[in-house]
Amino acid sequence: MKNTLRQIFHSSKFVAGFIIFVGILLLLIIYPLINPGNPLEMIGVGTFAEPGTYVSVYDTVTTETETLKLPDAAVKRLGNVLKEADRQKMADWLSAMEIDVSGLDLSDTDALLAVWKENYDETARPAGMTKAERNYYKRLNASLGSLGSAGKMTVTEKDSSGEEQVVATIGTEDYVNVKDVPNTKNLVLGTDNFGRDVLKELVSAAGTSIFIGLIAGAVATVIGLLLGLLSGYLGGLVDDIIMFITNIFTVIPGFVLLILISYSIGQDKRGAPVVALVIGLTSWTWTARSVRSQVISLRNRDHVNLSRLSGHGLFRILATDILPYIASYVVMAFILQVSSGILAEAQLSLLGLGPKTTEVPTLGLMMNWAMLYSAHLNGSWWAYFPVILMITLISFSLNLMNTGLDQVFNPTLRD
Amino acid sequence: MKKFTALLLTAAITLTGMMSTVSVLAEDVQLPREETLYFGGQQWGTVNSYNPIGTNQNNAMATTPQLIGSRTLMFETLYMYNFLDGSLTPLLADGDFAWNDDLTEMTVKIKDAAKWSDGSDVTSADVIRTFDIGVEIANGVGTGYGPYIDSIEAVDDKTFVIKAAVTEDGVPVNPLKVNDFLSAVLIAQAGWIDAVCERNNNDPTAIMNDAAEDVVWSGPYTKYFDDDQKVVLIRDDNYWGQDASMWGKLPVPKYIAHTIYADNAATEVAFKAGEIDVDQQFLPNIQNTWLEEDLPISTYMEEAPYGVCLTMPTAWYNMNNPVLAENTALRKAIAIAVDYDTIIANAMTNQSPSFADVPRSLMNPTEGEQALYDHEAVADLQWAGNDIDGANALLDEAGLTDTDGDGWREYNGEKISLNAVCPNGWTDWMAAMEVVAAAGKNIGVEITTLFPEWDTVQTVFTNPNQTEYDIFMWSPDGAGPSMPWGRVRQFLDGDLAGIENNWTGNWGQYKNDRATEIVKQIPLTSDPEELKALYTEAIQIYLTEVPSFSLMYRPAVFHAVNESVWTNYPEEGDGRNIPPADCTDGYGIAALYDLELVG
Amino acid sequence: MKGYRKYFGKKIIWFLITLVVAVILNFVLPRLMPNDPVAAITGKMAQGVTDASASQRIYEKYQEEFGTNKPMIEQFFIFVGNLFKGDLGTSFSQYPRKVSDILASSLGWTIALQLPAIIVGWLLGNLLGALAAYIRKGFDKVLLPMALFMSNIPAFGMAVIMLVLFAVKWKIAPTSGGYAYDMIPNFSWDFVKSVIAHYQLPFWSIVLISIGGQAVGMRSMSIYELNADYVKYARFLGIKDRKIVGYVFRNAMLPQVTGLAMSIGTMIGGALVAEIIFSYPGLGSTMFTAISGGDYPLISATTLIITLMVLVLSFLLDIIYGFIDPRVKAAQLD
Repeated sequence: MKNTLRQIFHSSKFVAGFIIFVGILLLLIIYPLINPGNPLEMIGVGTFAEPGTYVSVYDTVTTETETLKLPDAAVKRLGNVLKEADRQKMADWLSAMEIDVSGLDLSDTDALLAVWKENYDETARPAGMTKAERNYYKRLNASLGSLGSAGKMTVTEKDSSGEEQVVATIGTEDYVNVKDVPNTKNLVLGTDNFGRDVLKELVSAAGTSIFIGLIAGAVATVIGLLLGLLSGYLGGLVDDIIMFITNIFTVIPGFVLLILISYSIGQDKRGAPVVALVIGLTSWTWTARSVRSQVISLRNRDHVNLSRLSGHGLFRILATDILPYIASYVVMAFILQVSSGILAEAQLSLLGLGPKTTEVPTLGLMMNWAMLYSAHLNGSWWAYFPVILMITLISFSLNLMNTGLDQVFNPTLRD
Repeated sequence: MKKFTALLLTAAITLTGMMSTVSVLAEDVQLPREETLYFGGQQWGTVNSYNPIGTNQNNAMATTPQLIGSRTLMFETLYMYNFLDGSLTPLLADGDFAWNDDLTEMTVKIKDAAKWSDGSDVTSADVIRTFDIGVEIANGVGTGYGPYIDSIEAVDDKTFVIKAAVTEDGVPVNPLKVNDFLSAVLIAQAGWIDAVCERNNNDPTAIMNDAAEDVVWSGPYTKYFDDDQKVVLIRDDNYWGQDASMWGKLPVPKYIAHTIYADNAATEVAFKAGEIDVDQQFLPNIQNTWLEEDLPISTYMEEAPYGVCLTMPTAWYNMNNPVLAENTALRKAIAIAVDYDTIIANAMTNQSPSFADVPRSLMNPTEGEQALYDHEAVADLQWAGNDIDGANALLDEAGLTDTDGDGWREYNGEKISLNAVCPNGWTDWMAAMEVVAAAGKNIGVEITTLFPEWDTVQTVFTNPNQTEYDIFMWSPDGAGPSMPWGRVRQFLDGDLAGIENNWTGNWGQYKNDRATEIVKQIPLTSDPEELKALYTEAIQIYLTEVPSFSLMYRPAVFHAVNESVWTNYPEEGDGRNIPPADCTDGYGIAALYDLELVG
Repeated sequence: MKGYRKYFGKKIIWFLITLVVAVILNFVLPRLMPNDPVAAITGKMAQGVTDASASQRIYEKYQEEFGTNKPMIEQFFIFVGNLFKGDLGTSFSQYPRKVSDILASSLGWTIALQLPAIIVGWLLGNLLGALAAYIRKGFDKVLLPMALFMSNIPAFGMAVIMLVLFAVKWKIAPTSGGYAYDMIPNFSWDFVKSVIAHYQLPFWSIVLISIGGQAVGMRSMSIYELNADYVKYARFLGIKDRKIVGYVFRNAMLPQVTGLAMSIGTMIGGALVAEIIFSYPGLGSTMFTAISGGDYPLISATTLIITLMVLVLSFLLDIIYGFIDPRVKAAQLD
């Protein structure tokens, strides 16, 4: 046993897979400790906040400031409002209104702004200009408003009598240290369509998905193992019956069965454990077949015959004389079942047949919601890509371990 | 390896075989982009037929009768409804209609120029036959207007009188519904209807399922092509409406095309790619399309809520559940605990006015309806939402307390446990239900969300005896000639309680005698002050009793345009008074005559 | 040939038995769901009917039409009887369309997409796997983990990533549908080009995924065979390397054919989900709309067709296997 373990941990593939998997598990255990709370809590009011560090604007106003004279600050600030393309667009508008801009240097901000402010009219409808374009100019014009000012901004607050009281005056060279701001929130993977913290949800969802995979894998392996053992060892009529059933369910795609059963259960009864069970119930055939063929090759070995002669019962023979020889095989099959169970949950959820929402997050449900809110189309990569990556990594690590084990137990495959 | 080559060959053959089964049309195989207006979000699934008197056409572009304005591309209504101001503009009709004094008879004229595609005149007989066949075969026209219209009689070829159904005391049942008839019912040709009846031996089902290959139409467009992936209408250049008495010209696009997309996401991609010009679809965070993606997309209004909200998706309490029926305090507590700002920001991505902007009532947010009730009189009854303390206080006061210390409140010793239901896949509603459930958690009332498939939901909530759903979401009607009365009825009419297969309203089975009486009085009241008093009283009852609570405001139709090919769509304040109704619904179709190509 | 007949006869009998079970399952399972779809249709048809007896009449009419008022067993025999006539019933969600009409239009697209994709994926995968086994060294070290990683990306994930990169971001492929939005199907080169353009993304997303799994399997098999005694013996006899490699790969291929037969169901399942992401007008999308519309005649018909596709494919593979596996050949010739 020790020897086998040593061998297993000598396989680079197994070790790589193992490290990834343990890494994911550690993340699942440790992250909730750092960032505790309900993973389904809607912290954002809007949808799909971008990843990054969020600083409370309210708090920064009252935080101690330092004055920093940074040479490129003004340029950056201007660039944020007035990009190169915007300058060209402004010229385009002016030309469309038949104002001569041939002598105008577009890089000369002051000159450009002067002409613009003099001529721009929100209600004008230059010929051939779409509403979308007119809207763009309105927004641009509004954002230009602050450019001409002297660079002091005043923040006021209404006191109890309704009077405006000045809270702070902010200059362009005032900076706060983020450390001094009491409220900042680092959303590593932003928020999803419900305004939930994606990373927190992802960690919790990965846990549920692995749980679903484990249950599904265990159910499938147990059923497959039992049927395979009985069928292979007993042979005869039992074998015929079991193989009959197994063959039928091998050919009828498990995916189809999964859809049909999940559908007929109905959404309100589909909790995560139920889904896991259904997945397990539709994916055992493959294990049963392989176990059976292994058992057949074992059943006439001397030690089995000996055991039979000494009058040992069926279950004892299966448990002590056959099972140990196929244990490695069963473990490998189990690993594969876990990984395909996770995948099956994700696919079901995408079809709208996954576990019911709002109880627990699963990787499939996260993916489904991201798709429903078309995260993939509006550039919110953080809502779906980490989910795909997580599924792939879990499944990859399991398969890598499996390949490693395969090489250990089948020496001919060794590198 | 030979076998695989053979397999590949089989594949190739299958592909060719598949192509040959696709129906082929001779003329234009590629629709010229500059002559085609593409739609999205209207047609889901394959078109069944172009049968204007059927009920199973699944043909959004050609046959969609609806209160907020029927789609008059192929078949036409008598009048076109404009939800911006509630006006009716004559289409097939000529000039205004006239009621007699006791609102029992309405006289309508038909335009002289109005013609069918076969060249014959549109006459009174066509209107009469359309109504009569509806009653005979019990299609939407028959079931929808049969109870309110006794008969339609011809005065002459171009004039007819609609006789309203009257009660035993000679009072019209509901004159407002007769107004609906004018703008919602698509008129079919009498001669064609006769032919359909004859070939189907007058069997109602067969008539409604008739393929209508030979249909005669009066509208500016007609069928051109349809398959699983698209439907295309082509302009009828002989359209009568180019007569000076109607539009004086033809609509601009030669083709109206609608690709059939699998889902919202696919529609959104196509819209952003400029493959759809006019999109009737909720686009979350639509402002990002122009703010961040720089796409030539615009909406009727530049700022949130971007469109005209006409309805308010509402959470209905099921009065068959004793806990809800017996505890007004519970109903009110849940309603005031819900965080509406989150719903509006999240589910609607702010494409709805807030309840601070437009306080809750039975009215939609349009100015016309808002002016119909006394805001001051109900101001004390309003709530802002997210009022956890207030809700807790209400519940404590009503004696709904947590007696066994499990964190949940009990009623008569039993834990109050409710579900909140909406159809699966209706994302914005699902998000709203999640927020309602979260509110329950804050006030010690267990609310779990439940998202069954849509077909399950519809059979349950239209069943008057259902006890499966406690809080469920549904929208009242948006706009139409009979609004806001129709909506008041949907919220408060006790006579609707107990009706089997109830699609009409009062899905929560709420009964209040005074409210039911008000619903009866409004259609017969014409004095504005009296009306205002009635509406205000109805709202008072509604806000006090809380038989349901609205969660957000929402457009009845979404209307976003991609101006990469076409422009000059209706916009707020352009003086044309064309509603943002996707250039197709009711008076919204006027936009088709004004479109211009970009550049 | 007599031996072959027996082999095929057995396979055919199996095929038929499985088919019967599949039909039963496809009939029963969707009908177990809790809600009453006829009531749903009635709801749609009877909107605005305020008279309870009128809506009851409508309900009974549709019950009659769909036969849901008869006992389940009788419904089943009607179902089977109609099946022989190629009549799969009437769709609920797209009433009054025939289910067979709906399937006829989507089946072609799915077959044309999936069959070539699976075959190409299988061939490429095996080629790469064989190369990895033969070359080993660096190629193997890089290729195997990569192939393994790829094969673990879920089909929908691959589809989404490809859609986002190629269609949304770089705009070098169309986003959805089976042909261009501004086309009407016809026999022109332009149309074929458009079909092909829409074909690429779903095609490659399926191929890329199946390559990985096949390559891994083929590599193991090839290594196994390369180390087999007969190879050592052949080397000892001085037979040319090329020739040996030919034998080795031919032998390694056999289990791969069986493997394909076993995994074809899963592959098609994944590919169907990929179809949905691309709104490809195939069975996957049809099934998706059927599920969301609670349309069980359509659900059972789609799943039945998919089962049938898988059955036929595995049957064909069994036949092919019978021809190319010398052991089967030998056994049958005895």
